[in-house]
Amino acid sequence: MKIGVQTQNIIADTNPSEGFETLSRIGFSCADFSLNSYLKNTSIYESELNDFFTQPLSSLEQFFAPHKLGAEKAGIAVNQMHMPYPVYVPMGSSPLNEYLQKEVAPKSMEICHYFGCPYIVIHGFKLTHYLGTEQAEWEQTQQFIDSIAPMAKEMGITICIENLYDSVAGHLVEGPCCDVRKAVERIDRINEKYHAEVLGFCFDTGHANLVGIDYESFITALDYRLKVLHIHDNDGIDDLHQIPFTFTRTRENKSSTDWDGFLQGLRNIHFDKTLSFETAPVINAFPEQLKLDALSFIFKIGAYFSHSVQMGIGADIEGTSTE
Amino acid sequence: MNIICAPAGIVGRENPRQGVTDISAAGFRDMLLDMSLYCTPAKLEKGEKESLEGNQELAALLNHCSKNNICTHVAYAPYLMRHTKHNNTSMIMTQVSEMGIKTAAQSGCQYIVIRPLFAGIPDKDLWKANHEYYLRLADTAKENDMMILLENQCKNKNGHLLRGACSDAVSAAEWVDQLNREVGGERFGFCMDAGVCSICGQNMYDFIHALGDRLKTVILRDCDGSHESALLPFTCANQGRPQTDWLNLIRGLREIFFDGQLILNIKDTATSFPPVLRSGLLAMVKSVADYFEWQIEIERVLRKYPSRVLFGAGNMCRNYMKCYGETYPPLYTCDNNKGLWGEMFCGLEVKNPESLRDLDRDCAVIICNIYYKEIEAQLRQMNIKNPIEYFNDEHMPSFYFDRIKRDVWNGGQR
Repeated sequence: MKIGVQTQNIIADTNPSEGFETLSRIGFSCADFSLNSYLKNTSIYESELNDFFTQPLSSLEQFFAPHKLGAEKAGIAVNQMHMPYPVYVPMGSSPLNEYLQKEVAPKSMEICHYFGCPYIVIHGFKLTHYLGTEQAEWEQTQQFIDSIAPMAKEMGITICIENLYDSVAGHLVEGPCCDVRKAVERIDRINEKYHAEVLGFCFDTGHANLVGIDYESFITALDYRLKVLHIHDNDGIDDLHQIPFTFTRTRENKSSTDWDGFLQGLRNIHFDKTLSFETAPVINAFPEQLKLDALSFIFKIGAYFSHSVQMGIGADIEGTSTE
Repeated sequence: MNIICAPAGIVGRENPRQGVTDISAAGFRDMLLDMSLYCTPAKLEKGEKESLEGNQELAALLNHCSKNNICTHVAYAPYLMRHTKHNNTSMIMTQVSEMGIKTAAQSGCQYIVIRPLFAGIPDKDLWKANHEYYLRLADTAKENDMMILLENQCKNKNGHLLRGACSDAVSAAEWVDQLNREVGGERFGFCMDAGVCSICGQNMYDFIHALGDRLKTVILRDCDGSHESALLPFTCANQGRPQTDWLNLIRGLREIFFDGQLILNIKDTATSFPPVLRSGLLAMVKSVADYFEWQIEIERVLRKYPSRVLFGAGNMCRNYMKCYGETYPPLYTCDNNKGLWGEMFCGLEVKNPESLRDLDRDCAVIICNIYYKEIEAQLRQMNIKNPIEYFNDEHMPSFYFDRIKRDVWNGGQR
């Protein structure tokens, strides 16, 4: 099983090769390309857009050519990518939302294709407050998916919807795509419509932990529709994107996140794709001198996960391959 | 809808008189028969099963309830701690719950909330274990003419509360239906604990929608979404807003025309208040309960009249028309602002309130303005005899993305 990590805070635009070489040296073979870091969500919500995605596609490809080359030379596959989000701002202006959906999103698809990346993760719209129901909210998200699905089909890309959270006065509650029954039905219906696997699922462990979702049953229900992972940990209160096994809530100091359930779920569905960590904040949290150690530790957890999924939880890890 | 006050934190076990009197004085006419106060989780953990039958403290409580004209429609059976160390609890909990059913029936209860078994049971076996458990209890429930209510639970993962048994409402509804099919009648229903939903970050609208009329009771309690406390609703606030998703709870209960038992559990708020302030607190609790009842029943009120007119031509009227205008169309709206008379607003003619004198007697006047009492007084002064109801748009089925500023719509956006 391959192990990957988010590129944000690791790959520098000034010398992308160096970062990819570092990942390779540590043992990673995949990368989750943080395309969203070029147009941050905080900026979008503030309507403070940069001009990155206004560039013509040729310029964007030129910009990312060193990244692509660096990854290839280091033997790192860009297996998944995160589209900038949100692509719809409820109180935003029409030009803003039009720009996000008609310019940023299609160009993200093109960049994904340029990297030869098979999966792009999107965020569903957060509109239940206004529209009243999750179903009405989903219909808006589906319209957006329909707008990029033909590109996905043509390019051989699977768009992945992700389980998200929403905030009720700072209390994080379930957001789009937290109902696995609905997710399964919608993915199947849309793929049937396009006669292609244009839609899949990205399971985010941290977001699921925030809203108490049962990992094993959720993943088992997703089955083959689960294409990519966002692995990270938190305290069940805030979306911290930290290293798995970091958080405990009792004096016994056992992990308060159900990692065994996560691994069992992956084992149930014979998951054989990439164990990808969405842990960019970890890299910033540690001092410069310890960043590589932190990355190495994340990789080791990935190796443990890989072994556990393949051999069973608690199986002796000695002498096993992580590939 | 029946409003019920939970006694935890208010009524003393050894001396229930004052607490029951306070509950009654606040205007509550129903109290939860919470058996866990007499057969406590802590004692069950130690294997000390206290008998409810012939329990003098419980008898004293019921006696005081009777003296204060307080009913007990709903009982809550004893339960185990979420972090219980016990593994095999089926037999002990069957005994405890059967005892609870009998005691509840003798106390005049119609419903008893019995939590599902969970201790030592793998998730995949929860239904099997509980299927057997509840069917065992069904006979006792039938003999005593009681309905057993299953309840949504969280489970303890090393101190972190995650979704547990019956927290998936679709599965829970299937459990209830299957049990009822097997016993050949409506012997089982559901109790929704809004606090558990909040801890598990669940969309309460979807939760309620999935359960529909299986939902017989709803427990309202506030918490921070992380710790299992029972606070007065709207008190757990951050950034000036409540941290529990009351909007979706009200949306859901309104949509299913909930007409069951609404239980206020404010154990932690009540316990933390100085006793001398308790009567004031309980008056506030009653007001909060009444507020929920009003919000939940808004659509039920609209549909009970054959025709209606609105009073008010502002955002509340606009929201009425967005969410209810099609199903419950008003004849027109009226407003005290002379400048609006004769204009159209959201498809309604804005009339002089004097027009209300010509209404049919059974046509309701729905006030769409927060100056409810002043407007009602104005209408009564005009000798309007029609029913008057208060509409409110704080918890609407959906919202506009914007609000009209008066000067904007005065300028022609109608």
